[in-house]
Amino acid sequence: MNKIMYLEFERCIGCRACQAACRECGDHDAKERNYVEYVDFTESRQTYPMLCMQCKDPACARVCPANAIQITDEGVVLSAMEEKCIGCRNCTFGCPFGIPKFDFEENKMYKCDMCYDRSKHDIAPMCASVCPSDAIRFIDFDEMQQLRRKRSQMNLVEGKKPQEGNKWDYVPEFFGVYTD
Amino acid sequence: MSQFLAKEGVKNLHKPGEKLITTHCCYCGMQCGMHIRVNEKSGKVVGVEPRYDWPVTNGKMCPKGVTAYQTIEHEDRILKPLIKRNGKLVEASWKEALDLIEKNFKKLQKESGKDAVAVFGGVSMTNEKCYLVGKYARVGLGTRFIDYNGRFCMSSAAGGFIRTLGTDRGSTLPWPELEHTDCFFIAGSNTAECHPTSIQWLWKAKDKGAKLIVADPRETPTARVADVHLDLKPGTDSALANGMLHIIVKEGYVDEEYVSERCNNYEELKKTIEKFTPEYTSQLTGVAVEKIIKAAHIFGMSPRSVVMFARGVEQQTKGVDNVSLYTTMALLRGQIGKFASGVATFTGQGNGQGGREHGQKADLLPGYRKLTDPAAVEYVSSVWGIDPSEMPKPGVSAYEMFDEIEQGNIRGMHVICSNPAVSAPNLEHIWKGFEKLDFLVVSDFFLSETAQFADVVLPATTWAEDDGTTTNLEGRVIRIRKIREPLGESQPDWKILSMIAERMGRGQFFPYNNASEIFEEFRLASKGGKADYYGITWDRIDREDGVFWPCPSKDHPGTPTMFTESFGTPDGKANLACIEWQEAGETPTNQFPLFLTTGRVVFHYLSGNQTRRVNFLYEQCPEPYAEIHPALASQYNIHDGEQVKLVSPRSHMVVKTRITKAIRKDTVFVPYHWGKELAVNQLTSDHLDPYSRMPEFKVCSLKIEKL
Repeated sequence: MNKIMYLEFERCIGCRACQAACRECGDHDAKERNYVEYVDFTESRQTYPMLCMQCKDPACARVCPANAIQITDEGVVLSAMEEKCIGCRNCTFGCPFGIPKFDFEENKMYKCDMCYDRSKHDIAPMCASVCPSDAIRFIDFDEMQQLRRKRSQMNLVEGKKPQEGNKWDYVPEFFGVYTD
Repeated sequence: MSQFLAKEGVKNLHKPGEKLITTHCCYCGMQCGMHIRVNEKSGKVVGVEPRYDWPVTNGKMCPKGVTAYQTIEHEDRILKPLIKRNGKLVEASWKEALDLIEKNFKKLQKESGKDAVAVFGGVSMTNEKCYLVGKYARVGLGTRFIDYNGRFCMSSAAGGFIRTLGTDRGSTLPWPELEHTDCFFIAGSNTAECHPTSIQWLWKAKDKGAKLIVADPRETPTARVADVHLDLKPGTDSALANGMLHIIVKEGYVDEEYVSERCNNYEELKKTIEKFTPEYTSQLTGVAVEKIIKAAHIFGMSPRSVVMFARGVEQQTKGVDNVSLYTTMALLRGQIGKFASGVATFTGQGNGQGGREHGQKADLLPGYRKLTDPAAVEYVSSVWGIDPSEMPKPGVSAYEMFDEIEQGNIRGMHVICSNPAVSAPNLEHIWKGFEKLDFLVVSDFFLSETAQFADVVLPATTWAEDDGTTTNLEGRVIRIRKIREPLGESQPDWKILSMIAERMGRGQFFPYNNASEIFEEFRLASKGGKADYYGITWDRIDREDGVFWPCPSKDHPGTPTMFTESFGTPDGKANLACIEWQEAGETPTNQFPLFLTTGRVVFHYLSGNQTRRVNFLYEQCPEPYAEIHPALASQYNIHDGEQVKLVSPRSHMVVKTRITKAIRKDTVFVPYHWGKELAVNQLTSDHLDPYSRMPEFKVCSLKIEKL
């Protein structure tokens, strides 16, 4: 897999198609593993998608006492292996983004696996496939680098810079989740 | 383990044991391309897969599209005919249901004439079905009373386009060209929520430096990212458009050559807009002077611009005027008929375009022919095989049919694929009308609020259980495919209509075995009309990724870009709109000091009859709410999430508040997707546009009462 997940928060229109699509993945049991939040509804309709960052050194895996969270060769951090998971929920506390969730009925942890059955064949994960506003994209690393450079230049041209007092106007626009 | 369907670098996940059936979404006019995953053994629908090779949407889908397949085998489906006995709908056989319909329709027509039975159609159906509904009413039942829910949705756009450009096609350009546009002027459209998959084209253009101007009382997700957001008072669009025209003319942005060659009324227009200075416009609309000037400058200086609008400007008593004026903006800049520029309306319903061309309107016959034109009546009669004298006269518009019920002129009704008990304005009038009817038949696949009033409910099929075509918001005719056999005893609408027509003794005019036979007849019926589909075949649609109408012959390539040479008017020239500004039908008073405006949320579609039943969509937005500005909330001492009573001159309702700065201080917004006590249309007014007869959903007066 040579591609990365790339988020552009400002483009998010809050439609939650990514969440609906996440439920469509084969082994997701109709539960979404990504989230969409309002920055502050009273101020603006700005929303942002929240996906697993697929950290290179993931806190969830680090704090797992049973070593149940596997990382694939491509760098995708998977849900806890059922046979190993002891249900301690350390991963849910350890993740700074609140991504892993615990299913109390099934007694197992689940998290975004970047639709591994799709992404390992370079097919976009469901959330990135359907995102109507291109806020979530599955693109080449080089393309991401170009986009970041271009947006930094545009921000300078347009004078976009966060200031004290207008924090609601500002949301981080870009970051890439990459697994090189 | 996986196999792939490859088409020039585009791959789909194709799981073993499953087949992918290519079709389009059943909801809005975007008609997003998708594959439905079907289990090969059981034939059951198991999910959805994006269709990356569809040029309009590239695999994009909104949450409604992703979950659309879940309605096909939903447990709420009506699978047997229902008959009302002792006030309750109980299951019955098809024979019992049809016997009852035959008996009552014949009795009513015998007592009060053919027009005693009316037909209320819809446009969330294929072209074939829409065409057949028109024929069913006029030939099957012989009634002049037929209209459809597109009257609430698209008729002002149609009226405005016909008056200004001579032909009503929702978009003068194909959507993928939008990527190359330099300036978007979007008025009264919450594009991001109502047509989400359009947004990708805006973003693509914005990445290349395009500018976005949005005119809307709310700061919608679309307006949030606009270069200029014109936050106008509800109902003042014609003033804003005149103000824009004033600056365009004054600053010399007019394409003089284009206007002199291709447009009428320019001198008169200059006189009309003389007084609409930015200051005067600002006074009328409430938009800051600088914003109006900035917007006009951006629009005026853009080499390729598109003017787009939707229900926000159309669902007003001045809807046709608004459409004509905004279209005039594009004409003055010489933008219509050229690459990546033009004018477009966002079609609300799936087949809002095709459905209004083929004879469901009170005064129209297939191919946009007028019932008042004897030659048109003669031609269509010859296709249908009836005598021209048998053709009923024009009827009345959708809302006005309920006035006819009140007066006792309409005594029976057949509602097909529509839910006016939620979607019509001034609902108490509508509900009284349904109660007053002697006999009501509803065809639907869920028990809608309208179906609950019915004496007989006929189980229709979903979009996935029959073949056919629809026309998307670009004017592109596309194919809907049968995914599975009809569930239970449900039947496709065309079969239901044919069966009733047979019972009425008109079976010889409805000899169809499948939808393709209807399409063949419909091609012929539209031949030579303005909306000419004669050259379009199902086979061509498959080969060419859809065909744009008009397409008069099989060797004609279709018409992606409209009006490249001339307009559809008799002299071939566009008529620039010279229209004075007038107030909305109802404006705030001392007693009702606020504006109420209605609209959609991204999770629901029209009356919510389908989307409220889909778990994911219901969870995201289970009930309506009132968006209120914090300044207004503090004036009434209302808190976020508190229940308040909204009162209009007609009725009242109780809803929760959502406090946000993203709306005007004098305006309250409530989405309209719910029925009964949650229906905001209890409050909306019955003012109609004088030309299109479209109700003014977007403006009425309101007061808030704290509970």
